[in-house]
Parts: sequence; C-alpha cells; structure tokens
Amino acid sequence: MSKKARTAGDKGAKTPLAAKIFLGVVALYLLIPFATTFVYSLFVEWTDVLPSGFTLRNYTELFTNATFWLSIGRTLILCLVSVIITIALLLLAMYVVVAVNRKLGRFMQFACMIPYALQGVILSIGIISLYTGTGTLLSNRMVMLFGAYTILVLPYIYQGIRNALNAIDAEMLIQAAEMLGCGRFRAYVQVVLPNIISGILVSSLLAESIVFGDFVLANNIAGTNYQNIQVFLQANMDRSSGLSSAIVVIIFLVVGAVTATVLKLQSGTQKSQKE
Amino acid sequence: MAAPAPTPASRRLKTRRWMGYAALVPFLLVVLAYEFLPLAQLLIDSLVGKESGTVGVENFTKIFTTPLYQQSIVNSVWISLLSAVVGIVVAFLAARFAYESSARVRNAFTLVLNMMSNFSGVPLAFAFMVLMGNSGVLTILGQRFGIPFLADFDLYSSQGLTVLYVYFQIPLATLLLLPAFAGIRKEWREAATILKATTFDYWFKIVIPNLMPSILGTLSVLFSNALAAYATAYALVMNNFALLPLQITSKFKGDVQVDAATGSALAVVLIVLMVVCTLVNNYFTKRAAKGREIV
Repeated sequence: MSKKARTAGDKGAKTPLAAKIFLGVVALYLLIPFATTFVYSLFVEWTDVLPSGFTLRNYTELFTNATFWLSIGRTLILCLVSVIITIALLLLAMYVVVAVNRKLGRFMQFACMIPYALQGVILSIGIISLYTGTGTLLSNRMVMLFGAYTILVLPYIYQGIRNALNAIDAEMLIQAAEMLGCGRFRAYVQVVLPNIISGILVSSLLAESIVFGDFVLANNIAGTNYQNIQVFLQANMDRSSGLSSAIVVIIFLVVGAVTATVLKLQSGTQKSQKE
Repeated sequence: MAAPAPTPASRRLKTRRWMGYAALVPFLLVVLAYEFLPLAQLLIDSLVGKESGTVGVENFTKIFTTPLYQQSIVNSVWISLLSAVVGIVVAFLAARFAYESSARVRNAFTLVLNMMSNFSGVPLAFAFMVLMGNSGVLTILGQRFGIPFLADFDLYSSQGLTVLYVYFQIPLATLLLLPAFAGIRKEWREAATILKATTFDYWFKIVIPNLMPSILGTLSVLFSNALAAYATAYALVMNNFALLPLQITSKFKGDVQVDAATGSALAVVLIVLMVVCTLVNNYFTKRAAKGREIV
C-alpha cells in the first residue's frame, strides 16, 4: 500500500487549486474549535468580537491547583498500570497461541475485538451492575476501574502484539530454537519477546492515549471518588471557563505529543521495512 | 487414546503441553470477569421483568411503548446516521483532494487529521461551548453582525449535538477512506477519457462503485462510533436529553434510583445496534479486500 501511495504522490506533484482550497477549509474547520479555546485560555475575557487582557493567570492557577496534579497523577497511574497489565496478560496468552495451540487464535481475536464493538458505556454499566454491592474486593471502585481499562485497551494491544508476532514469524523462530534444544517457553521469552518489544511500543502508546482520553469509564465507575483528568475537567466546566480552557489545552498537548510520537515511530518502521 | 505404556519422556512432554495452557489462565480470568460476565449480567437483567420479576420481554415492551425511550432510540439512530452521512461526504471529498495533492500537502493534512481525531469527548464539548455556547465567540459575532444562524444557534439541542458529532466524524472518516483511494488507478481515468466518458461518468460509474465497499464499511464504523459516544453528549447536555447512551447510564447512576431492568434492556438495544454495525463492517471490509485483489 505504501508503495502505491508513494507513486501516486510522485505523479500528483502539483496540487490543484480546488484541492488546496477544500483541504484548507476542512483543516481550518478542524482547527478552529481548539484554536479558539487556546486563545480564550490566554485572555481575561472574551465578551466582545476580540478578546481583551492578555494573561497567563489561568495556567498559573491551574499549575498551583493541587487537585489538578492529583487528577493528573491518577490518570497516569491508570494509564500505566492498566496498559502494563493488558500487555502482560496478552503476552502470556499469545504464547499459547504461538507455541501450543494455534487454533486458539480465533478465540483470542473474538475476545479481544468485543470491547471494540461495545465501547465504554456498555462496558462500564455491565461492570457496575455486576459488582456493586457485592461487598467483596471486586466491588472496590478502583479494582473495577482497572478491570474495565484492561478490557478497554485489549483490541489495540492485541492488534499490536499479533502484528508484531506475524512480522517476525514467531512460530518458526520457536521451532528453530526448539531444534537447538531450547524449551518453547524459554524460546518465547528469550528469542521472540526481544524481537517484538518495539512493535508493541506503538500500540501501547496508542492505548495510553485512549485511557488518557477516557471519560465514560472513569465517570461511571469511579466518578468523584477517583477523578481522572477528564472528570476533573467536566467538574470544572461550570465553575470556571478560564481554568477549563487551560485544562483543555493541556490535555490536547499531552495527547498530541503521544500521537506525534506514535506517528514518528510508525513512519520509522515503515521506512525500515521498505529498505 | 490407546497409546502404549507412556515412557517418562512422553509423559513429561504431555505435562508440558498441558502446562502450556496455564499461560492462558490469567487472560481468561480477566476477560471472563470484566467482559463476558458483565455482558451476561446485562442480558439476564434485561430479561427479568421489573414489576413481575419473571423471565420475559416485559422490559423490552416497556421500552418500546414509553415515549422517552422511543425518542431516545430514534434520536440516537437519527443523529448517528446524519453525522455519519455528512462525515462520509466531507471525508470522501477530502480524501479525493488529498489524493490528488502533492505529498507535502497530503502529509500536512494527514497530520491535522491525526491530531484532531483525538479532539473529542469533554474537551470537544467545552471548545464548542466557547465557540457557539450562550456567550460563545461566534454567537457574539452573529449578534454583532446580524447573522441569525450564529446568533440564535442552540448548542444544547439535537442540532448542537449533530454539529459536534459531525466534527469528530470527519477526521476519523477521512483517515479510514484515504487508503482506499490508493487503489484507484490513474489509467482508469485515461481509459475513461479515451472511451469518451464524462467526468460525471468517471466518478459515478467507475470510482464510487469501486470504492463502495470501503465507503459503506467506513459508514458503519462512523455510525457505531456516534451511537456509542457518551462523553461529548454528557458534557453538553448532561442526562437531560433523550439519547440512548445517556438514558442507559442514568438508570445505573444518577439522581434517581437504580433501575437495572430498564437500563439493561436499553443497553441490549444498543448492543444489538452495535453488533449489527460490526457485522456490516466486517462484511464490507472483506468485500473491499477481495475487490482489491481482483484489481
């Protein structure tokens, strides 16, 4: 595909005017809501055609707000822990598919793609109605939240791991290692895993940005008990629009940085594949 | 299996084989506890009648006869469909133009798409409030310069929701459609011109039919994406709107008492809609892949 796209690009070296105008309008339309919020966050008020009174007050207020840092910390913990749990679960499970019984691949795909089809609302209310009030460890809101996030990021990490395993032909590697007298599990850990780590990295980053951007699960399961950054934003929206605009900018910058890293890593692997 | 007396070596191999499956256990436990059992719980709750307490379709009958829930389903489907169709039309044109552009323009445009495809949910709702809310920037502009569409625009309505949904559909749709255009050959255009086909013929009889599987597949992704969207709608109108995800959530969480029976039945309706979308998408994805092989 990438080869085709490249030849197409070479042919259409000159951009038609109509294309420039249309793409420009769409890009502008997509950028305006964020750009407005960004400008809004830098001014005292915007009650006329133009904003007035440049200030960094919103940001200084935000950065000295302990609740903000707590919610950022919670969000990071949720991101890291749930993504690491999912990676560990899937790496173990995929060992069985690659080295023991590859027929299980279909089941894995089924189980991992369900969350993609269902998304947050269904997942969160299913978990709440199953565990709330059972009085066990499972009814702990935090445990529920980690469980929910683990499921939420399954599709993304599964795709990443599966593609990486296919790319290096893990089955053949394990067979080769076995012929040389290495156990299957050891071959998986010592030969296969080091080779797929970089492939998993991209999908993990993608999963991080999904957890970072989640509002549904955090709000439905934990709510105000364990505010993540999105719930924090929602709680502040009615109170202070200046502060909220600064939070929106910070969220956008963080997710944007992660996305840029993902894109960079992806184009890097594409290039090395071409060579 | 009638095997000869197992030697220690073969027995060890068998244990090892069995041990291999142990690696699957943690995954199975988590998937069971947080994916399959919660779904089963919803399904069971939806089938146990709220008043009668017996198994049956009582909850579903109630949903389909209560105006609020009827309205929620209609609104959800309508807003999702409308935003998906508008999204795909804009995305088709954008992908077409991006494909005709130089690599530099295309890369810059794709970067904007990737960046803005993350801009959804609560931040997006807030940005539109700044832009078009009661004292939004555009609203003020509309009042100053006498543009009634901007001045009187009601963001906190189905009209406003549609505008927001269209916004988050466009980058997603374009990113999904762009690769499909790589399958359109330059030679087709030349062949069509030689055969005296008009530009209209070229687009509507060659390009669009060829891209149809990708277009319909993308459409179903967009539809289900809008159907399940919660954060954007909640941040804008809270639970005070007849929309499926909002009504479902309010039954489990909110000021009123928990009503798992009705909530689960509504959730099952949403699940069915989503599953249909996924099946439609799978069908068209396979068709699209097949189509490209032939070409």
